[in-house]
Amino acid sequence: MSAIPQQLHLRTDYNLTLAALGAETPAPAKIMALKQISSNKCFNGFQKVFEHDSVELKCKMKFGIYLPPKAESGKCAVLYWLSGLTCTEQNFITKAGFHQAAAEHGLIIVAPDTSPRGCNIEGEDESWDFGTGAGFYVDATEEPWKTNYRTYSYIKDELPKLINANFPTDPERMSIFGHSMGGHGALILALKNPGKYKSVSAFAPICNPIQCPWGKKAFGGYLGSDLSKWEAYDATHLVKSYPDSHLDILIDQGKDDQFLSAGQLLPDNFIAACTEQKIPVVFRLQQGYDHSYFFIATFVNDHIRHHAKYLNA
Amino acid sequence: MESEASDTEDFDQDLEPSASMTVPESNDPEPGGLMFYHMDLYETRERLDIFPEEPSSRALGETGEESARIGEEFQRPVEMGYDVEKEVEELAKLYGLDEDKGIEGELLVGSIVKAGIIRTKETPVKMEGVAAGSSGSVHNAPKSHSLIKGAQPEKQSMEEQRLPEKGSQDENQHLQQAGGAREGLNSYVCPREDLKTYGMQNEPTCELNSKEEAADIYCSTCKTPIRAFDKLFGNHKDHEVTELTNAAEIAKEEVHKNMCKLEEQIGQMENVASHLEEIFITVEENFGRQEQNFEMRCNDVMQTLAQRYEEKLQDLGEEKKLKLEALYGQLVSCGKDLDTCKDLMETIQELCMENKKVDFIKAAVALVDRLEKFLKKDLDLELSTLPDFEDRAIDFSDMEQLMDSINTVPDDSIECYQLYYKQVSDDTPSEEQAELMTKVKETYHTVTHLVPNTQYEFWVSALNASGISPASERAVYVTAPSPPIIKSQESQSCENAALICWESGNINPVESYTVELSKVTNGENGDVITESIVGIPNCEALIQLQPRHSYLISVRAVNMGGSSERSEPVSIHTTGTYFYLNEDSAHPLLSVLEDGFTIACSEIENPECDLPSRDNSFTRCIAILGSMIPFQGKHYWEVEVEEDMEYRVGVAYENTHRQGYLGANNSSWCLRHIVTPSRHKYEFLHSGTTPDIRITVPPKRIGILLDYDNWKLSFFNLDIAQHLYTFNSHFQHYVHPCFALERPGFMRIHNGIAAPTSIALS
Repeated sequence: MSAIPQQLHLRTDYNLTLAALGAETPAPAKIMALKQISSNKCFNGFQKVFEHDSVELKCKMKFGIYLPPKAESGKCAVLYWLSGLTCTEQNFITKAGFHQAAAEHGLIIVAPDTSPRGCNIEGEDESWDFGTGAGFYVDATEEPWKTNYRTYSYIKDELPKLINANFPTDPERMSIFGHSMGGHGALILALKNPGKYKSVSAFAPICNPIQCPWGKKAFGGYLGSDLSKWEAYDATHLVKSYPDSHLDILIDQGKDDQFLSAGQLLPDNFIAACTEQKIPVVFRLQQGYDHSYFFIATFVNDHIRHHAKYLNA
Repeated sequence: MESEASDTEDFDQDLEPSASMTVPESNDPEPGGLMFYHMDLYETRERLDIFPEEPSSRALGETGEESARIGEEFQRPVEMGYDVEKEVEELAKLYGLDEDKGIEGELLVGSIVKAGIIRTKETPVKMEGVAAGSSGSVHNAPKSHSLIKGAQPEKQSMEEQRLPEKGSQDENQHLQQAGGAREGLNSYVCPREDLKTYGMQNEPTCELNSKEEAADIYCSTCKTPIRAFDKLFGNHKDHEVTELTNAAEIAKEEVHKNMCKLEEQIGQMENVASHLEEIFITVEENFGRQEQNFEMRCNDVMQTLAQRYEEKLQDLGEEKKLKLEALYGQLVSCGKDLDTCKDLMETIQELCMENKKVDFIKAAVALVDRLEKFLKKDLDLELSTLPDFEDRAIDFSDMEQLMDSINTVPDDSIECYQLYYKQVSDDTPSEEQAELMTKVKETYHTVTHLVPNTQYEFWVSALNASGISPASERAVYVTAPSPPIIKSQESQSCENAALICWESGNINPVESYTVELSKVTNGENGDVITESIVGIPNCEALIQLQPRHSYLISVRAVNMGGSSERSEPVSIHTTGTYFYLNEDSAHPLLSVLEDGFTIACSEIENPECDLPSRDNSFTRCIAILGSMIPFQGKHYWEVEVEEDMEYRVGVAYENTHRQGYLGANNSSWCLRHIVTPSRHKYEFLHSGTTPDIRITVPPKRIGILLDYDNWKLSFFNLDIAQHLYTFNSHFQHYVHPCFALERPGFMRIHNGIAAPTSIALS
């Protein structure tokens, strides 16, 4: 009901942004419709949520975006955050407390949703670790998922394109990080696309999905039974073919993380592979921390600084 | 009459343009005042009586009468301001011009202009002087009066301060400034003078000139401003004319030249005067000295003569007394003998008259015996005492000397001086110190080859032909110290400061030290001292510097006798942090190679062996401490290690436990690398605990960034610019770099380098 005024509002906002950038105004037809859902001032910047029609996922998708104060006067690097199982775009922006660090370092932080929603695929809401809220950042090849569950491509291509077209970004400077399933997503996106991301980091990532129950379930469902397809989305496996060592990986892992002891995360496998391949990783096993956003909030500043070092170099 | 008064005002206003016409600076903030008499010479003459009056008056081009009048006016300055107006009126009447205001105006302007020019020729106006004088301008008599009052004490004090040898330039300037104040006063006096003097000359011209207009061109032939009209039709018809402004310019230039010349002359004359005065005083002094000298000498001679006379007279008296006494004695004895003879004669005569033979014989025998006795007795008939006195020559040789000394100048009578000196020290009694002596002709001498930083006493005796004077009072001096020796090996620096240590270089303590810095700029040597820090009591100094520069730093020792020569400088580069390894802290098994920054350990089996160890050295951990400048801010250094080397690197307090391992206590923070069969293990140790951190790429070059401002100690793998770990710790004290080897091998330390930008952001 209130869609029309919001659309109008969005237009003005967008045009202003473009004007500020001095960019050419793209033809309206090419503008992928962005609908602002919310906007809150935060550390002199703005935490906003937008909705758009995703071509890749063929559904409406929301994402959170934090625009630091610097975005009002210049182009900013973009840091993509990938959330974990069951999460939406809301978890990170409301719980992680990253805004101050992002404001200080002048980073735009984009937090997309974790899966297509409302696609009415049979069984998508059956379990919390598969289907809705569990896209696993892969492009599904199996029916009935392969039409909508293309979160790898969505994160890799569609979303950056959308962001770069609508916000004052420097497309050359982007990095990625994530938590748990999102940590897995961040690692594979970085490892599969050398040079695309300046840096990568992860909180308690699923490091070796083809070896853990979550991964086996998801990969089996989305990719079928062909293990070679699985390996293409497995960080530990990808490291082995990563061409160079120009990727500084920071990983924080709570020592009291229940999923660590449950063998879902398997960081040791990843570290061993990186050690062998001389991929620089600093892996910090944090005493007493679990898998929660409290753990993330504790170390999120370290991660933002880690990315800022490369993004603002 | 009112209209005349207004004309007079016009005249006053005209005066300004006429002044500007002759002096270009008149519109400047320090306006030139051509209308001012320069009063220097009056003052000069008052001050220097030795100047003959005539020449100075002539130099001024003034008669004595004039100057006397000016002197009068000078005493009543306020009244004079109004006299100008009166004079103008009077003049106007006198020349019968009061009916024609136009002519009067012209007369005034013309005469003022000309008067201005001429006066300036004879008046050397120095701009400084004018600046003071000009504030009391023509229209402002009371003000200039106050100026004079102000100037007067200044002049006096200057004269009091004046020393014979200081007839200097700057004084002249002062005098001119003081004189400038008087110029202000005279500025309103002058117009009257000029109206009188030159108004006369101008009279005919004025009368001939047209009756309405002011002059607008200048007739070179008549040397007077005329109206253009006159050129065309008047008696200047065939004369050469120029534009009034041109003429003014030329006149101005000439005036200016003359001003300079006169200025110069005044300077010279004042110089000469001051010299003469000096000589005058000196003559007086010399006369006094000589007079005193002669008086003293003559008195000496007179006294000596009187003394001699007394002495001789006394001697003579005594001799006379002796002679008389002797003569008297002889006379008495002579008388006695004479009596005896007479007695004998009488007895013989009586005997001869005796007739009785027997009695005669008897008496004769007795008489013969008496006669024999008497005759046997020697009669002292020699005249032993002579009437002559001894020849008493008075010895005048010393007198001659005295007389001679009168004829010689007293100073020249001293042949030379003997300068004695010897060391004074508290340790050894002064008698034991050898006295040294040099002979000098002059009344000064430079004694060389003295021991630095030592007390000496000096005394002098004068020597001439007649002997040596008593010693003068003793003067005690301290020789300047020897230069300190900078311990250049122990210099520490960072981007903003340097810590320099030195040895005194002197056995006895010195009062303080002075550190001198020179910044070495591109292509120039550091000879120019850019900063000195004085009064440093100890043998070290923390000096604030600017980042990324080169400095040469040297030290001087200072005592009462002055400061020493500069020490050998030490070169400091404020790029990064520069420390040195404190070998006193090194474990006996750890050695520092020649470059000073490579540490080595050859065997490891028994690190707790009984090797001789220094008091301050590590006994268990094969470690060494660096000595780093105690300065806030950021410090960065690097170590280079083999991949399989086991080591600890980090920081520690200076007093960290020497028996413990680095990182095992709360006084040290370090990265420890351990090689296990399965992997490289990295610990970030403090108080014996470490976070659990895995590092996939073993660093070979480790960057260590200590950031006091943010309480951080960070480690980096430099090859891949990877941040490894950061301690967040509130260091209670300053920390020092520490290094430990836990396997045989080497570790190379790099410092004095800027932190790479890749880690600066971390």
